Amino acid sequence: MTTNPLFFRKTAIALTGLFLCLFLIVHLSANCILLLPKELAIPAYNSYSTLLRESPLIKIVAYLLYAAILLHVFYALLVTLRNRKAKPVRYAVNHAGENSSWASRNMGVLGTLILIFIVIHLANFWARIKLGLGEAVPSDPNGNLDVYSVTYELFQNAWFVAFYALMAIPLAWHLHHGLKSGFKTLGFYHQGGLRIIARISLIYAWIMGLGFGIIPIVVFFK
Amino acid sequence: MQVTFKIWRQNGPKDKGKFESYPVDDLTDDMSFLEALDHLNERLVVAGKQVIAFEYDCREGICGQCGIFINGRAHGPHDHMTTCQLHMRSFKDGDTIVVEPWRAASFPIIKDLVVDRSAFDRIIEKGAYISSQTGTAPEANAILIPKSVADKAMDAAACIGCGACVATCKNSSAALFTAAKINHLNRLPQGKAEQHTRVKEMTWQMNLEGFGSCTFTGACEVECPEGISISNIAELNARLLKSKISGS
Repeated sequence: MTTNPLFFRKTAIALTGLFLCLFLIVHLSANCILLLPKELAIPAYNSYSTLLRESPLIKIVAYLLYAAILLHVFYALLVTLRNRKAKPVRYAVNHAGENSSWASRNMGVLGTLILIFIVIHLANFWARIKLGLGEAVPSDPNGNLDVYSVTYELFQNAWFVAFYALMAIPLAWHLHHGLKSGFKTLGFYHQGGLRIIARISLIYAWIMGLGFGIIPIVVFFK
Repeated sequence: MQVTFKIWRQNGPKDKGKFESYPVDDLTDDMSFLEALDHLNERLVVAGKQVIAFEYDCREGICGQCGIFINGRAHGPHDHMTTCQLHMRSFKDGDTIVVEPWRAASFPIIKDLVVDRSAFDRIIEKGAYISSQTGTAPEANAILIPKSVADKAMDAAACIGCGACVATCKNSSAALFTAAKINHLNRLPQGKAEQHTRVKEMTWQMNLEGFGSCTFTGACEVECPEGISISNIAELNARLLKSKISGS
């Protein structure tokens, strides 16, 4: 008997999703440096980003990250296509809001918004700093690439601030359902434990949403 | 009591189907929903029109035969209820009630509100039983089962196979039904001997029947007349993983 696609694809989505959840914790923790006063934030942020660029371990993690995002999207697409085929005719009247949350029914929509965000986010930072596309990144007095200035400049543009802050909403929604659902997909079924995981997912989603949403606004007003 | 039923009419599996409206003005609020449909059908017979096809058997909420999507909810507006237990007092005088069959590729429409749920039977045939000659009833204490285990098995065994889980699921996933059938037996000592083949073969049949993947929206456990918990699906995932690892 071959691998059951109904379960294999969901397991792949759950594993990659949980890995991405871990990554977001590290990402947000590092971004908190941006909340420090400028004179502390500039050397700390730039030396941290130099550390990341030069670490061979981070290089491996980065490739895992790219793979996780691509696989997460790929399998989510397969699951969505199959699920749509399983429900070819929709109900004329469907009060789905009375039995399930909007986010749980629209993970694909939320995920697509996040993917659009990731592409723009990578174009803003990764393309300029790692690929050297666009205007060259200056160095700070310590000789590190001045990644802080790239961030600061971007968030002087109110449109980008609004975009980054607003995109934290679909992210939080996606994470709230994704985290608790991921554990169930991986076979965690203890009912008391699931209630705790649901609460942790809610707290996690709030922290990620507020954290990623507020930082661009704080930098804008610096 | 006066209501207008807006009912899906479809002559056969290949027919396109459409909604038709039927105003009914002499209902009472203590009629069950199915009695109201009976009442409407009697009117249709007198008028020489074709009656509305719908399924039922016990009308006591235990057989799982009835199943209609009513006003945007599987089995009507209440949680954990079968269609036959729904009464007209749940609606207001003058309401328009939209009545649709279960919608899922794996539950093709036979006629009007009747769908073919034999996909469930084929899943059951793949292992929702134990292969033993039962003969006469064995001595009651021959196999000791702790009360907590028996209760948990019974919680899953309560599934009546009505199909509301598939009907309400946006992915038409049969995961709650299949999980209930598997967990019922796999939780008991009698079911352990075949637990790995059971979980693999029943879930594989679920795949072959064209049901979707579970994405844990939780709609199924709300509409399930027996209130079977969605944690059963998580347990099924664990069992499937265990059976893969065990390699049997």
